[in-house]
Amino acid sequence: MLRAASVVKSYRAPSGAAIRVLAGVDLTVKGGEIAVVTGPSGSGKSTLLNVLGLLEDSDGGEIWFEDSRVSALGRAGKSRARGRYVGFLFQSFLLLPSLTALENVLLAARYVRRASAGAIRRRAVELMQEVGMADRMDHFPAQLSGGEQQRVAFCRAVLNDPPLLLADEPTGNLDDANGAVILAALRGRARAGAAVVVVSHRPEAAVGASALYRLRGGVLETP
Amino acid sequence: MRALRLLRGYVFTVVGIGIGVAGLVSLGAMSERIVRFIEGGDRFVLGQISVAGRGMGMGTGFTAGGLLPAATIRAIAEVPGVQAVQAQIMLPLDPSTSQFMTLTQELVMGVDLSVPTPNRHYRTLPVRSGRFLRDGDRKVAVVGASFAASRGLEVGSHITLEDEDYEVVGVLDRMLTAPDRFVMVSIADARAQWVAKDRLLRTVLASGGMALTAGDLNTGAAVGWRDGQDPDAVAVRIKERVPGVNVQLPSELSRLLRQSTQFFSALLVGIGALAFVIGGLSLANTMAAAVFERIRDFGVKRALGATDLQLGREVLAESLAVTMVGGVGGIVLARGLGWFIDRYLAQAQQLFHFSPRLLGGALVFSVLLGAAAAIYATARIVALSPAEAIRRGA
Repeated sequence: MLRAASVVKSYRAPSGAAIRVLAGVDLTVKGGEIAVVTGPSGSGKSTLLNVLGLLEDSDGGEIWFEDSRVSALGRAGKSRARGRYVGFLFQSFLLLPSLTALENVLLAARYVRRASAGAIRRRAVELMQEVGMADRMDHFPAQLSGGEQQRVAFCRAVLNDPPLLLADEPTGNLDDANGAVILAALRGRARAGAAVVVVSHRPEAAVGASALYRLRGGVLETP
Repeated sequence: MRALRLLRGYVFTVVGIGIGVAGLVSLGAMSERIVRFIEGGDRFVLGQISVAGRGMGMGTGFTAGGLLPAATIRAIAEVPGVQAVQAQIMLPLDPSTSQFMTLTQELVMGVDLSVPTPNRHYRTLPVRSGRFLRDGDRKVAVVGASFAASRGLEVGSHITLEDEDYEVVGVLDRMLTAPDRFVMVSIADARAQWVAKDRLLRTVLASGGMALTAGDLNTGAAVGWRDGQDPDAVAVRIKERVPGVNVQLPSELSRLLRQSTQFFSALLVGIGALAFVIGGLSLANTMAAAVFERIRDFGVKRALGATDLQLGREVLAESLAVTMVGGVGGIVLARGLGWFIDRYLAQAQQLFHFSPRLLGGALVFSVLLGAAAAIYATARIVALSPAEAIRRGA
């Protein structure tokens, strides 16, 4: 499902010097697999996930979603590819504070309409019921705990049934119990056929992973 | 419900825009008020030939001349091209008040109602309630809107002028020009008031040293011209054929009026430009800031697949709604403020004129500017990568 080849990415330091964060990353994740990327803070894990999810452009290399070389697309094409292929789960949840939990979930379908509004709403409600958020649908993010917010974010990430799920430290702001719920949900998505990439510094994230990588010196290593 | 929630999220933006628009509309309404005053005066002087006696008189009226005796009025009526001559008297209501600031001067105006009003642009003055003066009326008055408001007068009220009781038989519509502060009476009553006000005139009349009759007591006359006549040519003819008069050519008087109001016109332009710049900047800045505040939301939406076009459409719709609500709120605020100032602080003078063109223009201006500012801010945000937008908004 996801194939990255020779991906490089640098940032410009305030001094003007280039800091190479990704120095030729190769990664392939098939549907049904979970790839877990670990590494110390500042090693470039989030940058890798952003580049893989087309949230920022790489400086070189190729990224493929299925048979489509998405790294070559223009801005609008990348936006459409994100909506069609990718679901994101962020460490800080990134729910919109002005929307209720259910509206946050439905937001995923606003820009990628593939079914009727009624069907999308039914699907969103089902997902929220599955993660135990049925009685919290009308709550705003500020009225939810961190674990609840991440469950809402998970529902948003999977509403469109994306074939690729990218999770950036999804348990970073959660306690162990809530973290376990989210990791279990991610494994469930992999079992359902999605390709899942998780970056995390928590060892428990690697449980059940199909592949485990360590990002060091801008390249992925198998430990 | 969702729309209300959306506006709640923009509450400070709406308030900010409302204040900006209120400032714009208030300053604009003051400008409109002055424009209407100047335009009204111009329209008046272009509708008649104004004549006064040569020399120094009461210093009132439009021509500030001396007495205009009845014989002179008859002579003017004989000039070819003249259709009608209406004797008039204009007196300050309170002679102790300075005559300098005539913009707010309250005047008693006496008109000879046996002659139809010659002014082509003001054949009749619009009466809001009651009636206008009729030939033969005595001890009755028709008052201007500001005059009535400042004293709580209505039809049937009584006022005292030079120790005489007058019944108010009519109140004029608000015209935003000089008649708003007029008390209009018959010319006979005005003559009696003039004599009562002017000690020197009383002495002269009592001495019998001058062959003056009541009919000679006029401060000026409004002269109408026949159809097809050039008013300036008729005025020149009067000047040539009738000695001892000050005649103002309508076009010349209009030019003088405009010249004398040049300061106000410049002030208007200044106020308008300031309102435009301050109100516009405040509005655009508020709207752009509101969009920039949502930079993280935009990053998230783009991560979810929103294209630049979809985001632009979304922001445009929201900004139109927000600026529309803020704009209408600002107009309501400005009108409320104007009403309060006119009612309680301006002693019943109308300082603001909220014309439909001003309100419509302000609304369109605010909506367009708000939308432009929102689109500009959106364009700046979508130029960033979604990841950068999320990082900056964190």
